[in-house]
Amino acid sequence: MALPHGVISADDHACEHPELWTRRMSRQKWGERVPHVETRADGARVWMIDGKPAGFFGADILESAAAHSAGARLEAMDRDGIDYSVLYPTASGMSGECFGRLDDIELASACVQAYNDWLIEEWTRVSPRFVPQCIVPLWPMERAVAEIRRAVKAGHRGVIYPASPMELKKVPHINEPDYDPLWSVCQELNVPLCFHSGASPKIQMRPDRNFSPAAARAFSGIVRSVSTIAVVANFLFSKVLYRFPQLKVVFAEGSLGWAAYEMQYADYQSAADGLGREGYSLKPSELFQRQCYFTCWYDRESLRMRRYVGSGNILWSSHFPVEGSAWPSARERRDSAFAGVPEIERRQIQWENAARLYSL
Amino acid sequence: MEIKFGLISSDSHGQLGPDAYTSRMSAQKWGERIPHVIEARDEKFPHPVERWMVHGEVQGGNVCNCPTAMSERGYYPQRWEEVPREVYDPAQRLLALDRDRVDAEVLFPNGPGGTFFYDDPAFELDCVKAYNDGMAEYRQASDRFIPLAVIPYMSPIETIVAEVERAVQAGHLGINMLADPSTAVQGLKNLGDAFWHPLWSACQELGIGIHLHASAGLAGKLSLPQWKGFSRRQAHCVSTLRNFCTATQIVPYLIFSGMLEKFPGLNWVFAETGLGWVSSVLEACEQAWEKNRLWNEGIKTRPSELFRRQIYVDFWFETVGIELRDFIGVDRILWESDFPHITSTYPDSWDAVEHSLQGVAPADREKVLFRNAARLYRLQID
Repeated sequence: MALPHGVISADDHACEHPELWTRRMSRQKWGERVPHVETRADGARVWMIDGKPAGFFGADILESAAAHSAGARLEAMDRDGIDYSVLYPTASGMSGECFGRLDDIELASACVQAYNDWLIEEWTRVSPRFVPQCIVPLWPMERAVAEIRRAVKAGHRGVIYPASPMELKKVPHINEPDYDPLWSVCQELNVPLCFHSGASPKIQMRPDRNFSPAAARAFSGIVRSVSTIAVVANFLFSKVLYRFPQLKVVFAEGSLGWAAYEMQYADYQSAADGLGREGYSLKPSELFQRQCYFTCWYDRESLRMRRYVGSGNILWSSHFPVEGSAWPSARERRDSAFAGVPEIERRQIQWENAARLYSL
Repeated sequence: MEIKFGLISSDSHGQLGPDAYTSRMSAQKWGERIPHVIEARDEKFPHPVERWMVHGEVQGGNVCNCPTAMSERGYYPQRWEEVPREVYDPAQRLLALDRDRVDAEVLFPNGPGGTFFYDDPAFELDCVKAYNDGMAEYRQASDRFIPLAVIPYMSPIETIVAEVERAVQAGHLGINMLADPSTAVQGLKNLGDAFWHPLWSACQELGIGIHLHASAGLAGKLSLPQWKGFSRRQAHCVSTLRNFCTATQIVPYLIFSGMLEKFPGLNWVFAETGLGWVSSVLEACEQAWEKNRLWNEGIKTRPSELFRRQIYVDFWFETVGIELRDFIGVDRILWESDFPHITSTYPDSWDAVEHSLQGVAPADREKVLFRNAARLYRLQID
């Protein structure tokens, strides 16, 4: 691999092209249920999925070609000094959760497959600098596992799954052994399982009606990112990582910000609650360092606390092009945030950890 | 007050005795609905237990949440006779403060106390008055106690304000609130609603802060559904750990709603949330503020400046937030013991203090250990 800049961005978003699904799914079979963009009377463009307005991401940032076109994205990456970009979805939900909500699992699977194929054909085939990660049919597990096998074979290097599937649909709690096939296949295929923030809107406060649109956007971006605190709190004690000791898990979107504190708190609280007697042989922070990753961006203060998380467990990201991204000044923000970080750790966080995790 | 040890706990829990409500509320009016302790059955225990009963509902789990005050640390008393007097008797409690070498403590509720939501505003108001009167007696017993009032959420705003003014007159030095009352009872307003403006004005005028404790009522809202497979201890650990989700979302809410700008003299105090998340939330707020040019939209003051002007945060076990203290603002940091809850540093609070404050300059140590609290609560020290 070529790394002229020495930088891998481990959490970026491909923005689904307005015709991604209409070009790839049978209109005869699915009709208006195929995901597509509609222009409302007030001029706003909205994504329609299964005939209903879906989510709030995607259509409003399509204006930038770099959002949904690989060629323009490569130029933006060059300007920002980024060699490789690990891709998450946008209109599909940042964890692909929009399709998880659909009642019709045939439709959900067809939408998921179309996205996964699009990412390989329109991005990775244009340039190996794009690191594709597949989204997954939420349920049943056989279908999820089959799609993961198909996608990884086609070139996907990571698996994105909503962290709280039980809030999308009537399915078992994520901690139940029902999900073991999911953890198992990721471990077997050596691809990380990625939880991106935003998969559960219920755990994010909503801006009030009296917020200005810009303030509402700013607020939503921040609460989406911090909502992963609850995901980590649950996952660390779910014992999934004990059952699958080779599984690698990424908690994406600015998660380093509160990570040092959550790790220290988890160690303290689990000791206070006496969990050592309940089958937790490792401290939460040790378990985390064995198998998990947090992402950082421009946050200098949390980078200073990296030793609590481990420099080997941190991935840098620009988070292009979503709210909260440092783009288009990611290079300057990155340099400023890493001032004072020794070269050996800077290399780990900016590319080595990601290169190893994604087998680049 | 005298500062003898150099340590104020900004988050402890004050218990009222078993007759606190029956002695203050009208038996004729409320009868059995008055909060009181009854004999009850709990399938986890072979013998009869005691529980608080409020408005006919039995409060589960224990009769008093004070596991660090017990001789067997971690045990939750099941009968009132097991509850140490130092948990609910102000005079005895001073001895516990001395043992832990703590000068003063801010008193948050211990059940039943924080809210009285039983679909009956008149009942709620009388319970709140009884609670506030009972807790005011702590302050009357000693100026080492700093009680916080609770509010009758379901009353008209004028009644709420009047009760707060009455409580402050009786000795309360702040109020404790839910982070989002609208999620607790249908019809209540969220914090950003203009309904609360008279309360914010009154608190600003009285010079008392609004306190949000741990998840401030949002634990069940801002987290994944709790897994039924967790043991009681595991569930407690997970639910405690996620509590700081509330603070990480409410701080941006206070900033971007313009509330801090609108009431620039009003303090907001976050208890039992820790500090280690603050700098990254502020960095994210600043990034968003700059990127969206929010000074054009009514948020004229930089988020970190707003924080350092009007928000306080507590810590008890950590080193992370202390290492980040310069960015957080060393004037905004308070120490807490959380006595007598399970996470408390009692009775070895100074060990925890020394662990957290390694390498902190003496002047900054004094700030976070007692001077900031003395300023916030306007205590006369020295």
